[in-house]
Amino acid sequence: MISARERVWSYAILFVVAVGVLFPLIWVLLDALSPNASGAMDLSHLRWDNFATAWTQAGFTTYLKSSVIITGSVLVIGTFVAILSGYAFGVLGVVGQKLLFPLVLLGLMLPMEAFIVPLYYDFQSYGITDTYRGIVLAHVGMGISFGAFWMSTAFKAVPKSISECAEMDGANSWSQLWRIYLPIARPALVTLLLLSFLWTWNDYFLALILVSDPAHQPITLGLGAFSGRYLVHLNLLSAAAIMIATPVVLLCLLFQRHFIRGMLSGAVKE
Amino acid sequence: MSVVLGRDERSAPPVSAAPTARAPQRRVARAGRRRPWLGLLYLAPGLVLYSLVVLVPAGQSVWLSFFHWNGVTAATWAGFSNYSGFFGDPTLRAAAEHTLVFLLFFSAVPVVLGLISAALSSSKRVRAGGVFRSVVFIPQTLTPAVTAVVWKRIYEPDGPINDFLKAIGLGGFARTWLGDYNWALPALGLIGTWAGFGLCTVLFLAGMQNIPSELYDAARVDGAGPIREFFTVTLPGLRGPIAVVLTVTVVGAIRVFDIVWLTTRGGPGTTTVTPTLLLYDRAFTNPDIGSAAAIGVVISIISLLVTMVIVKVAGRES
Repeated sequence: MISARERVWSYAILFVVAVGVLFPLIWVLLDALSPNASGAMDLSHLRWDNFATAWTQAGFTTYLKSSVIITGSVLVIGTFVAILSGYAFGVLGVVGQKLLFPLVLLGLMLPMEAFIVPLYYDFQSYGITDTYRGIVLAHVGMGISFGAFWMSTAFKAVPKSISECAEMDGANSWSQLWRIYLPIARPALVTLLLLSFLWTWNDYFLALILVSDPAHQPITLGLGAFSGRYLVHLNLLSAAAIMIATPVVLLCLLFQRHFIRGMLSGAVKE
Repeated sequence: MSVVLGRDERSAPPVSAAPTARAPQRRVARAGRRRPWLGLLYLAPGLVLYSLVVLVPAGQSVWLSFFHWNGVTAATWAGFSNYSGFFGDPTLRAAAEHTLVFLLFFSAVPVVLGLISAALSSSKRVRAGGVFRSVVFIPQTLTPAVTAVVWKRIYEPDGPINDFLKAIGLGGFARTWLGDYNWALPALGLIGTWAGFGLCTVLFLAGMQNIPSELYDAARVDGAGPIREFFTVTLPGLRGPIAVVLTVTVVGAIRVFDIVWLTTRGGPGTTTVTPTLLLYDRAFTNPDIGSAAAIGVVISIISLLVTMVIVKVAGRES
């Protein structure tokens, strides 16, 4: 049904667009392999050891440790709380749900700017700025709106007949949640984990404000600091950027469909 | 992988439709019955954390916005003067104007580009649609710190853009793009377009899969060319995804911070300041916390209004 001319035009336009998107990335990749600090290309002397040098000089080991601790804690705690909240809204019902559910959903639409200024000063008075506890708490608290919404929708879709059987077998609400509802809602859980990972791992703004101690900063801030100091070593800077980007890019491409589903279903966050 | 993916694809919740608070229940008395007090117990940890991080500070923002406070000495009542700054304060007004430019680059252009490339790369047209989708999606997954490194390199005096201009004899146009009073703002905008339109493409493609192919066949039988087909079939069928994408990108444009902070820091002069950049500056660098809070409140109210209007319009037309 599609004419040949139409098809050729489609390919041509798509090719130009794809090249436009990839060009800056390829340029930086070539920079990263350059032996010159200016990043000038030299394909006959590709320097793969730039990656190792950049890693050491940027102090990425410490930053990576912080990123893993922060993201890991947020995933475990945030997902646990999201499951409990979603179960409450979606299955058990909550006293005052007509008020509480919209109140929690409000957080989906509220940008960080709505609360970040007092949040910093509150955290300062609790003494948890510059700590893992503080940044984890902030991420978890901000993620609850989406987590509760997302899991309650997933739990609601579980057929009533299944939990009916379990109840007759004498399963209480706690074991029904973990043995019946959660296994059925597993695909939704994977999406939630992926989105939470991406939001936490890629975060720059929240960490910039809440964590000024380099020993507790995530790797995104590490790269920011490195790029401030290393403008004269473009090849190392590019190598550092590529090392940070690659794992996340691969993960996202692998789980692309989960990501899309989450976004289309109201992940109106970033 | 596909086993995990496949299961609930069809039961994915509808676009932006908040689930009704109380789904109709047939056998209320028996299993699956509502136990709201127990539910409150399950909700308690989430509610406490949410209040602590979001609700209470959001309330404090509104309160703080009515004071002059430098974070150290006692706060003094300010009335609405922190808000009137949006009209009287030239830096703040500049930031609001830049937001309009960013709306174009971060929202309008990516949506249009996304629509075009989604329409062109749909599976019935080209074979390599999947590869294309993955390629344009990559910028979306980069953390802002990486995007900033990439584009500072592209825009620098010895970067590829200037090299290209010199090579074709337009060396006079070569400049330090991010340091130029006239060009820094559109240069930043282009980064936003680059980073954002892939997400639009991917979400539109996902939405297009739900458009029945009979509609396309019917359009072709009626003699519609590719352009008319796009406007009569594709565009109306994408109302839901367009609403989502507009919400995300418009709010994103209102809140631009990371990429500006990591490249120009609002400069040269104040030519690229954004409201959130001023919020950061006034909250933490040169404390004028009441003013920072007021900026936060205004950004939030505008974001909420935009979200509600878009969701409402999309809902009414469907």
